[in-house]
Amino acid sequence: MAGNPSPHLPPVPTVFVVDDDPAVLKSLSRLLRSAHLVAATFTSPREFLDRHDPDAPGCLVLDVAMPGLNGLELQQAMATSGHERPIVFLTGHGDIPMSVQAMKRGAVDFLTKPVNDADLLQAVRVAVEKDRLQRQTHAEVADIQRCLAALTPREREVLEHVVAGQLNKQIAYDLGTVEKTIKVHRGQVMKKMRAQSVAELVRLAERVGIRGKR
Amino acid sequence: MVAAACLTLAAIKFLTWQARRQEWERLLFSLAGIATAFMAFAELSMLRAETPAQYATAMRWFHVTTWWIVILLIGFVQLRLRGGRPWLAWTAAVLRTLALLLNFLVGQNMTYLEITHLRHTPLLGESVAMPSGVPNPWMLVAQLSNLIFIVFLTDATLTMWRRGVRREPLVEAGSILLFALAGTLEGALVAWQLVDWPVMTSFFFMAIVASMSYEMSRNVLRTAQLSDDLLDSEERIALAAQAVGLGFWMWRIEDDQIWGSEGWLRLYGFDADADISYEAITQRIHPDDRQAVVRDWRSALEDRGDYAAEYRVVWPDGTQRWIAARGRMQRDTHGKSARVLGVAVDITGRKEAELELARQRDRLTNLSRVTMLGELSGALAHELNQPLTAILSNAQAAGRFLAHEQPDLDEVREIIADIVAEDKRAGEIIRRLRLLFKTGAVQRQPLDVNEVIEEVLTLAHSELVNQGISVQTELTPNLPMLNGDRVPLQQVLLNLVMNACDAMAGAEPADRQLTIFTDLAGHDVRISVADRGAGIAPENPERIFDAFYTSKAHGLGLGLAVCRTIITAHHGKLWATNNPEGGATFHFTLPGENEVVADEGEPRGTLRHASLDELALAQRGAR
Repeated sequence: MAGNPSPHLPPVPTVFVVDDDPAVLKSLSRLLRSAHLVAATFTSPREFLDRHDPDAPGCLVLDVAMPGLNGLELQQAMATSGHERPIVFLTGHGDIPMSVQAMKRGAVDFLTKPVNDADLLQAVRVAVEKDRLQRQTHAEVADIQRCLAALTPREREVLEHVVAGQLNKQIAYDLGTVEKTIKVHRGQVMKKMRAQSVAELVRLAERVGIRGKR
Repeated sequence: MVAAACLTLAAIKFLTWQARRQEWERLLFSLAGIATAFMAFAELSMLRAETPAQYATAMRWFHVTTWWIVILLIGFVQLRLRGGRPWLAWTAAVLRTLALLLNFLVGQNMTYLEITHLRHTPLLGESVAMPSGVPNPWMLVAQLSNLIFIVFLTDATLTMWRRGVRREPLVEAGSILLFALAGTLEGALVAWQLVDWPVMTSFFFMAIVASMSYEMSRNVLRTAQLSDDLLDSEERIALAAQAVGLGFWMWRIEDDQIWGSEGWLRLYGFDADADISYEAITQRIHPDDRQAVVRDWRSALEDRGDYAAEYRVVWPDGTQRWIAARGRMQRDTHGKSARVLGVAVDITGRKEAELELARQRDRLTNLSRVTMLGELSGALAHELNQPLTAILSNAQAAGRFLAHEQPDLDEVREIIADIVAEDKRAGEIIRRLRLLFKTGAVQRQPLDVNEVIEEVLTLAHSELVNQGISVQTELTPNLPMLNGDRVPLQQVLLNLVMNACDAMAGAEPADRQLTIFTDLAGHDVRISVADRGAGIAPENPERIFDAFYTSKAHGLGLGLAVCRTIITAHHGKLWATNNPEGGATFHFTLPGENEVVADEGEPRGTLRHASLDELALAQRGAR
């Protein structure tokens, strides 16, 4: 499974490989290890769903044709459960409709077996990077959400008016209070949201989907 | 007059006996007729006697003829009616013989110790002599003999009656009894001088001879009628035989004499005047068929009695013909094989059509297999792609490991071993494919059915995976080996597996399950392929095995028809049932190896023993 040894270093990404043919699985895992990647192998999508750690960073190398659940169905199942990760598909025969469907659902690449090492490793690297970025974004958004949760309802109202570009006087008028009170709330919002400027506050609010209120 | 009539009848019977020596009763009858004639002469001499001495002498000879006739009649009744008790017959004969001795030893004859004088009385316009004298008391011996003779006749007649005989023998026995009774009575009355009649015993015996003659003549007439019928019938059979090219033959075993009809000689390519022996016939049979045909003849001779065979004969000029032959062995009275009667007919046309049909069937089987493999080609390519993928990735991984600063050589060695293994796996797949594409001759060999199933599942693996079908096998271990041709049997299994896949194409993913069972059903091995599709239309489940019947959009409808042909050629059965929980199961049975070995000795000539009923039908047909 995913090696995640030290809390200080960023966790090493794992390449999860799923293929029903043990010989193919073993050869793919070897190829990844020869390129200094960490590989975890599974002989069926079911086993992968049961055993893998959704929080471990890394990507998925997935055979399309497998008994039980096939590759595309696994992609679907992961999307539904909210544990998406970038997928590199492998297929025995380049099936165009299937590859289009997979790519539309966000697959990184759709490679034909036998696969060339450079192609696979390149695709895996892209996928790993994509995962890293996704995880980073997720982490930032989660951070902003945490700050947002610390605001009082009144501060939240003030935030929405500030993001809309209103002046303190206008906000005070809208909320039926005095400008001085608004100024205090605004200071609290800037502090709790760890924003240095109004521009930064607007950017943070946009990332969690808060649009200005008028 | 009486004498003349009796002699005529006697002559006729003698002539008929000449013709049929086995019928001894005819000779006895003939002799009895002669004796009756002599008796008539003796009686005439008595009636015409001038002196008592002449009368006595004539009477003495009269008794001789009586003895003669009685003995002959006893013999006749025993031979023809086979009814009387032998001890009665013997007693009557012995007493009569004793009476004959006394006839010569005591007094002037059996009837009189001494005839004292003759009277002459008119009878039918003639003067006849009537004796008077001292009766011979030993006459009782003769009369006792008569009595026992009558008891013997009565016994014989009743025995016949009880056996249910109503016709001729009964009439004969009855008339002998009746007239013997009357003759004895008249003789006794005259002898004891209770009535004043002349001795007329010969009339009664003539009546006996006449009635016997009547019955026996009827036989002769009937025989003549039968022989006419037989000639007619023979003519009709010969005509029918000629029309269908049928040949008859008969083989008398004791002296190896073989007779064959013209048609039969032609079948074997013999000249009309050829000298044919058993050896000559067997030499004409095709060497490949000879052993089996001879074996069948032998077994018909030894126990079964009938045979039926189809085989090839080769004429001296090399022409080859197919013949269907049927025959029956006939036993003599001791139960030993006496002769063989047989018919044969040329079936070359039919046989060639059959062989051509078999060739067409083989071609169709091959075609259907290649078509099926074509449908599978995508999946088969994928199956081959897997080891190639493993080989490439392994090789490239090895290259990368070797480029490391401190290469892990153990890892590289392991990789190389895996590359070799995967290469072999690819080679094996190609080998199996090549076998399936081969259109070679039938090759029967011992097969493990479970192994065949595993091989087919390997080939179909990718197809099953592509269609999302999971496979379960429930294979009974240690099943008897099959004697079969691997490729066609794989074809059948592959066909059933692919049909199952098609049947489940529209099913829910959880229902896409294929199960293969093997088990033992009696002496047969049974293989069942179960799917969970829509099942078979219940109205006519056999229809799916018809050629050109298909439920698929792109199908020739030959798969199952060909499968059935293959299984039938393996002496097995193929059928389908619907499962109670949905879907269909296709079953086929194949006999275990020991069961099929029996027909190995018959390469082409299909030989089997016909039942008596079949032969009877054939005979009826011939008429």
